[in-house]
Amino acid sequence: MARARPQANRLREAPPANQSVPRQRRSLRARWSAWIQQHRESFRSSLRRMVERPWASILTVLVMGIALALPLLFYVLLDNARALSGGLREAREFTVFLQTGEGTDAARRFAAELGQRKDVAAVVVRTPEQGLAEFRQLSGFAEALDVLQDNPLPNVLVVSPMADSRVGNPALLEELKADPRVDMVQYDATWRQRLSAILEFGARAMQALTILLGLATLLVVGNTVRMDIQARAEEIAVVQLMGASDGYVRRPFLYAGFWYGLFGGALAVIAVGLVELAMRGPLLELLASYQNRFALHGFGWREPLLVVAASSLLGWLGAWVVSTRYLIAGRPQR
Amino acid sequence: MIHFDNVSKRYAGGHEALNGLSFDVEAGEMVFVTGHSGAGKTTLLKLLGIIERPSRGEIVLNGADLGRVRQRSIPQVRRGIGMVFQNHRLLMDRCVFDNVALPLGIVGAGREETAKRVRAALDKVGLLDRERAAPATLSTGEQQRVGIARALVGKPPLIIADEPTGNLDPQLSVEIMNLFAEFQQVGTTVLIASHDLHLIRHMGKRVLVLDHGQLIDDFRPQAA
Ligand SMILES: Nc1ncnc2c1ncn2[C@@H]1O[C@H](COP(=O)(O)OP(=O)(O)OP(=O)(O)O)[C@@H](O)[C@H]1O
Ligand SMILES: [Mg+2]
Repeated sequence: MARARPQANRLREAPPANQSVPRQRRSLRARWSAWIQQHRESFRSSLRRMVERPWASILTVLVMGIALALPLLFYVLLDNARALSGGLREAREFTVFLQTGEGTDAARRFAAELGQRKDVAAVVVRTPEQGLAEFRQLSGFAEALDVLQDNPLPNVLVVSPMADSRVGNPALLEELKADPRVDMVQYDATWRQRLSAILEFGARAMQALTILLGLATLLVVGNTVRMDIQARAEEIAVVQLMGASDGYVRRPFLYAGFWYGLFGGALAVIAVGLVELAMRGPLLELLASYQNRFALHGFGWREPLLVVAASSLLGWLGAWVVSTRYLIAGRPQR
Repeated sequence: MIHFDNVSKRYAGGHEALNGLSFDVEAGEMVFVTGHSGAGKTTLLKLLGIIERPSRGEIVLNGADLGRVRQRSIPQVRRGIGMVFQNHRLLMDRCVFDNVALPLGIVGAGREETAKRVRAALDKVGLLDRERAAPATLSTGEQQRVGIARALVGKPPLIIADEPTGNLDPQLSVEIMNLFAEFQQVGTTVLIASHDLHLIRHMGKRVLVLDHGQLIDDFRPQAA
């Protein structure tokens, strides 16, 4: 073998040891159009992949839909319960009977005074005349009442405390009771507290359920995307060797996660809408028994949008976590 | 173009795959890396693509110190390298055209430019009429040529190939090697790992010989 030596130790200037790699200088326009191009591609290919593996996709969307529908349903129920309870406002109000000596003018002054307080939402004065008129209408005592010389009824103040006073606002109550102008105060604190407590508990339970099931959707999407990634490990390895950035590798999976979330959320909204529809009849009957004082609280347009947006975000997030973990695990070691 | 200065690579298991390697490759050179199995040829190429990091020493490629390139800049380095693999590593669920277009998609080239450059690359490897074919329907030699087209479509200044003719018969091997020699003619630097000594001698290019991770020879045979 003929040899042309020595070449091994040719003297040669070492190139400057730059730490940063010279970036390709590309115009902003070119980079923008490249970015758009890649998003368009990921948008299409992620959808195509879902269609290519219909069962896996449908299963994921179904599980997500159900997991999201549960807290949503709970929310609708709670919302209606709250509306119902809100209708039972009497229970929340203090009925304050003034001393018979207090005239209507004094009652009005007292009402104005109470109305200034921060913990009072509204005060309504019911004069003895009004009381009598009401009484006359309600009972069959019209004739009997006619016999009365003077009106025996006192002035009454109906005091609504601020809505959020969960414990029944004992300070206000005590003050009213202690007031010399007041004869007696009627209220149903225990009932009110119990109802508030139940609603509060329901709200808390819903929050917990929402968090748990939100986490579940995150895991479901994460797991599906993880399997997608494993199925495409070779493709990922190859494009990485060709200089694909982490963003490029991640993008189609983020789109996939987004789609799972979007479709899952939409499914949940539809499912809850159907359940609502099924419940409508019995619920309306129940409402009718309350003299239709309350309307059925259905979905507006805002809640479904919010749910779908949130689940899309969850899907995206699940995909992001899983794909980022995969990318970090594959980095070259020293 | 490539500068190795006392480079060593010790794998996690403690095995020293490369030991005190120093050499330079000028831009536009074509160089073979040879040596027994396990000598460290693949490891050397992996260091260039930052698939592995050196344990010691300095590797400079096109002015970039590869040992110190930050994680997020690795793609930028790799875009300047066309890689050819022994088992071609084509994506079997895509047609020939889409496989070759892959590096252009990564940099977000436009549709027209992509089509133009993919066809030019396929033309160079003589497979222009197979652009819609599935890789599985091609012969081994054709698959390897698609892999080569994919490596050169981005016009990288450096092409590295790890045993690109390992699976091919002698005549096909010569064809493939001549293809690489053509790229060198247009100014591309080409680095090929191979243990086909006969073929290497036939090509008459510079040869680096590795033995147990050490550079034991660096010569240029007279063309046969
Ligand atoms: N990821 C790894 N972890 C640990 N040891 C490795 C790893 N990759 C390679 N090695 C070891 O490093 C040495 C060099 O391997 P390398 O793949 O570079 O050899 P090669 O010259 O390409 O061999 P071949 O001709 O068989 O492809 C071998 O002894 C191998 O066992
Ligand atoms: Mg090898």
